[in-house]
Amino acid sequence: MARWGMVIDLDKCTGCQACTIACKEENNVPFGSPYENIRRLAPYWNKVIAASEGEYPSLNIEMIPMPCMHCDNPPCVQVCPAKATYLREDGIVVQNFRRCIGCKYCIAACPYGVRNHNYKEQEEHPYNRPDSPPDRSVIGPWPFPHRTHGVVEKCTFCFHRIDEGIKEGKRIGIDVVPACVEACPTEARVFGDLKDPNSHVSRLLATRGSFVLREKMGTRPKVHYLHK
Amino acid sequence: MSSEFVPIEGKSRGYWFAVAVVAAVLLFGFICFGVSYVEGHQLFGGSNVIPWGMPIVLAIYFIGLSAGSLILSSLTYVFGKVEYKPIARMAVFLAIVLIFGAMISIAVDLGRPEKFWRLFMFFYLNNMTSMFAINGILYGGYFVISILYFGVILAQQQMLTRIMGIIAVCWAVLVHMGTGAIFGFVEAREAWFSPIKPLEFLSAALTSGMALLIVVTIATFKLSGRDIKKEIISSLARMLVVFIIILFVLIAVDKLTHLYAPARGAALYMLAGPYSWIFWFLQIGLVVVIPLVILCNPRWRNSIGAIVLASLSVVIGVFFERYYLVIPCAAYPMAFYPGKVEGVYGAVGYFPLSIAEFGLSIGIFAMLALMFILGLRYLDTLPPVEAKEPATASLEGPAAASEQTSVA
Repeated sequence: MARWGMVIDLDKCTGCQACTIACKEENNVPFGSPYENIRRLAPYWNKVIAASEGEYPSLNIEMIPMPCMHCDNPPCVQVCPAKATYLREDGIVVQNFRRCIGCKYCIAACPYGVRNHNYKEQEEHPYNRPDSPPDRSVIGPWPFPHRTHGVVEKCTFCFHRIDEGIKEGKRIGIDVVPACVEACPTEARVFGDLKDPNSHVSRLLATRGSFVLREKMGTRPKVHYLHK
Repeated sequence: MSSEFVPIEGKSRGYWFAVAVVAAVLLFGFICFGVSYVEGHQLFGGSNVIPWGMPIVLAIYFIGLSAGSLILSSLTYVFGKVEYKPIARMAVFLAIVLIFGAMISIAVDLGRPEKFWRLFMFFYLNNMTSMFAINGILYGGYFVISILYFGVILAQQQMLTRIMGIIAVCWAVLVHMGTGAIFGFVEAREAWFSPIKPLEFLSAALTSGMALLIVVTIATFKLSGRDIKKEIISSLARMLVVFIIILFVLIAVDKLTHLYAPARGAALYMLAGPYSWIFWFLQIGLVVVIPLVILCNPRWRNSIGAIVLASLSVVIGVFFERYYLVIPCAAYPMAFYPGKVEGVYGAVGYFPLSIAEFGLSIGIFAMLALMFILGLRYLDTLPPVEAKEPATASLEGPAAASEQTSVA
């Protein structure tokens, strides 16, 4: 069984947010109003944060794209009372909407803030725009299951693409990648099998210095960052 | 134990007026719940920074009051202190009402309240490493045990009462420590993470339970025309002083531990951040300073009015202790990356109190008040009236007390 992971090269990342938008399109994540964004009501499966250090003449700003870290030791799985979120065999942490009761304990426990509560009813329209109903004949049904308000959702590494790709015999990480990896204009994101020593991610991790976010928490994330 | 307890008459105009008022508030709360259920939790103040809002504040507040008042009933039924017997039954009944309110509060805070039953599928659909699932066992068991305890008290089974009392008290201690563990064991939230949280919750439970018992006892007895012995109240008040001091020591130790470590950002935020006025004035001021000043003053500590004032201050202050823990402490931004995280992801969370959430909260208070005053009418919880004239029971007391705490 593979062990899916992601490597994000901070040297290549420009902070263009293409990954954020691609993720919203792919998974039909609702868009929010500016007010909802300020209050952080709007769900983001992938976000790009900016961290600054120092004052103006000697200032450094880093853009850090943050999908779900898909930890090997996930605090959200540990605290979920309803077994709604669990670690798949291939290392992806997924959320079962049918089991989720919406207690929001996982939002409190996640050290990366990647979990989102779905605060309102999911719109059938893409982009939440009532003037543009989805053309089902072109785009087909949403790859992601329809969800109600009141459940918690998060990045899934686009497991529907991976599962489909494996079924069709495609090469995961080369032919089939998550939407954010596909959308990245600078190829800062690389997706692949961390177990396979010949995969692109393994080679990057072996040849360049890398780090994970909030290592002190002991979560052992599968999203690695390359130094700027 | 002979039959020394009677229900209140409950025929006066004041009683039915109180019932009507709380029923109306309850209806408003129910409408708010219905709207929020249909529209989603966007109507509430919570967000992805502050996951829990007022219902969870109320839940842990009610659990504390419930566990405290159940433990105090054990003074009579387990330790055999006969002088507290007139209030012991009411204490147990209050505990049952409050734990029911706590469970309702947790249910309405769920995004999908209709899946509440999933919390009680112990070991089958539940992940037992979750503190929530463990607390499901604790709360469910506590509810059943306290009802059985009340049942054997009403049936006047002395031996059984004693056994159930011991079980109920031990279980109540577990319930409250478990509630503290929900918050204390979450490492990701620096302002919550603390091994001392369970003990702090337990002492806050005893303090607030004692204070609420004093307030409710005096209100109920005064309004239903009963006489309460002054010695009972002043000895309860002396116990309250001890509980307040223990609680203060635990709060201080908790904050000092956090201040001592190199990563003291969260502790500084709690003690000097933008919301620290809630901590200093509403928590420390109302729970520790005002009651201790009143209860340690030789002139005031034996007057019923002053004791009620001090107890009311504790009841309101412990509410703000819960509030401070659940909402402003959760708003402390997480350090995703070294340095200053810019924008909304590094900002302190923002919690507007909406009409729906406020209505829901006072609705839950009203529901408990309604259960309590109806229970007084139909259950044998109070000692009989000693005065000669028939009781002019105008029981607005518990409702009014609850209303005051909800407004606060």
